[in-house]
Amino acid sequence: MTRDVSFGQYMPGDGVIHRLDPRIKLILLIAYIVFVFCAFNFVSLAVISAATFAAVMLSRVPLRMYFKSLKVVLIIVLITSALNIFYGGGDVLWQWGYLTVTKDGIFRAIFVSVRIVLLILLSSCLTFTTTPTDLTDAIERLMKPLKALHVKVHEIAMMMTIALRFVPTLLEETDKIMSAQKARGADMDSGGIIKKVKAMTPILIPLFVSAFRRAYELAVAMECRCYHGGDGRTRMKVLHMKPLDYVSLVISGIVLAGIVLCNVFFASIV
Amino acid sequence: MSFISAENVKFSYDEQNRNVLDDVSLKIKKGEFVALLGHNGCGKSTMAKMLNAMLLPEWGVVYVDNMDTSDEKLTYEIRSNVGLVLQNPDNQLVAGVIEEDVAFGPENLGVEPQEIRRRVDDALKAVGMYEYRTHAPHKLSGGQKQRVAIAGILAMEPSCIVFDEPTAMLDPNGREEVMKAIQSLHDKGITIVLITHYMNEAVLADRVIVMDKGRILTQGKPRDVFSEVPVLKRHRLDVPQATELAYRLIGAGVRFTDMPLNAEECVKLLEEVLG
Repeated sequence: MTRDVSFGQYMPGDGVIHRLDPRIKLILLIAYIVFVFCAFNFVSLAVISAATFAAVMLSRVPLRMYFKSLKVVLIIVLITSALNIFYGGGDVLWQWGYLTVTKDGIFRAIFVSVRIVLLILLSSCLTFTTTPTDLTDAIERLMKPLKALHVKVHEIAMMMTIALRFVPTLLEETDKIMSAQKARGADMDSGGIIKKVKAMTPILIPLFVSAFRRAYELAVAMECRCYHGGDGRTRMKVLHMKPLDYVSLVISGIVLAGIVLCNVFFASIV
Repeated sequence: MSFISAENVKFSYDEQNRNVLDDVSLKIKKGEFVALLGHNGCGKSTMAKMLNAMLLPEWGVVYVDNMDTSDEKLTYEIRSNVGLVLQNPDNQLVAGVIEEDVAFGPENLGVEPQEIRRRVDDALKAVGMYEYRTHAPHKLSGGQKQRVAIAGILAMEPSCIVFDEPTAMLDPNGREEVMKAIQSLHDKGITIVLITHYMNEAVLADRVIVMDKGRILTQGKPRDVFSEVPVLKRHRLDVPQATELAYRLIGAGVRFTDMPLNAEECVKLLEEVLG
């Protein structure tokens, strides 16, 4: 069950997006997400969808990985679009008791679901093509100016790296503990929600104990490797802006300007 | 001149407890391969942490390459000179990508980026994990993870590596992989201190040190130490299987000319006996 988490997993590869500077990727992701919510009509929505689709194709990550991450949010998409269909104003197309479907509602539902899908595709595109370390590295470097405000940038980045590193390890461990408890007759699948939550205790306690032991051992191992905080630390990977990065910035700038123009020249729908 | 020298080291984790290390003195030469044996709680892991300044002696001194481990200014120089590989491979890897994990040590030492790159590539090649450099650690087997952990230490370019039961959590294949890696490091001139429960691993060492209750019980060449089967038995320690078999056969009246340390030697000696 815990094996299927594809959202946020790095997929090794050598595509164009893999080679982009992680800082650029992070900034572009934020820009695109903002513009996903700033696409007010179908033309601009089509433009940003096309850009997202292009990014997905350029990432050279198997499409089924994207479908897997979309599957996770399928229910959220369905619920929010259902809510939007019934809560729109404007021309009534169909009515049944309190439920009214309006043209506005349908448009709204389409926008919301497309936006959620684009959001997931864009962020998956970033996490599939960027190693967690690169990502935290990019965050560390982009946040560097905050050091002046006494924000512990290096420490935060280190904690993120370690957390990301141990997610799969702890998931695996949860699976093992569950099997071990099941083998001893623990019943986790029957009963109401309260009983099910209570049944989690024999899984969570060993998991916590082991997590603390791991933390202690990791701290020892880090000290053995001369870790002493961020002072005087260098990095193997030096980030340099390459021509590819400038090109991607320019292309993205054109796409985003296009969205602004589409918003201006075509009537807003939502 | 010995590379590591511990003199009359005493240590306890808290005041009520007996000394975990009780007046231990040992010397390790440059390029030597030393196996440290003893049953659980005999102080061998504590001794390992003494050698890279993770723990400091309460009494006595430890010198590494003429540097006193209690000198705080030298701590990181000592730790980069004497690497420590621990038992659980999972809990030693910091980063989510192999090569970035290996780079962690040299990054902490403030090495220049290109130099880190070179060291990481060399270290991964030395343990045969270079093809996996862009993989995530959780997709590797135990033996592979432990080799990556070794590479992480190797990238600091230490002249000595202390292994604290590196194969205890591995399957037989992983154990063999890791022992091969350790031997090839020894062949390259790196000083090895191997703490282990497996006697067939200890046999590979130049010298075996047996610890018991915080003291050094006996030490010497593997052949000499393992010949003392009754002494080791009395301290609840194993001997290699081949040695054990020979010991029992000698007890039953078979005449062996020598004590075998591994299966091949045992077969040869048995053939001799059987004519």
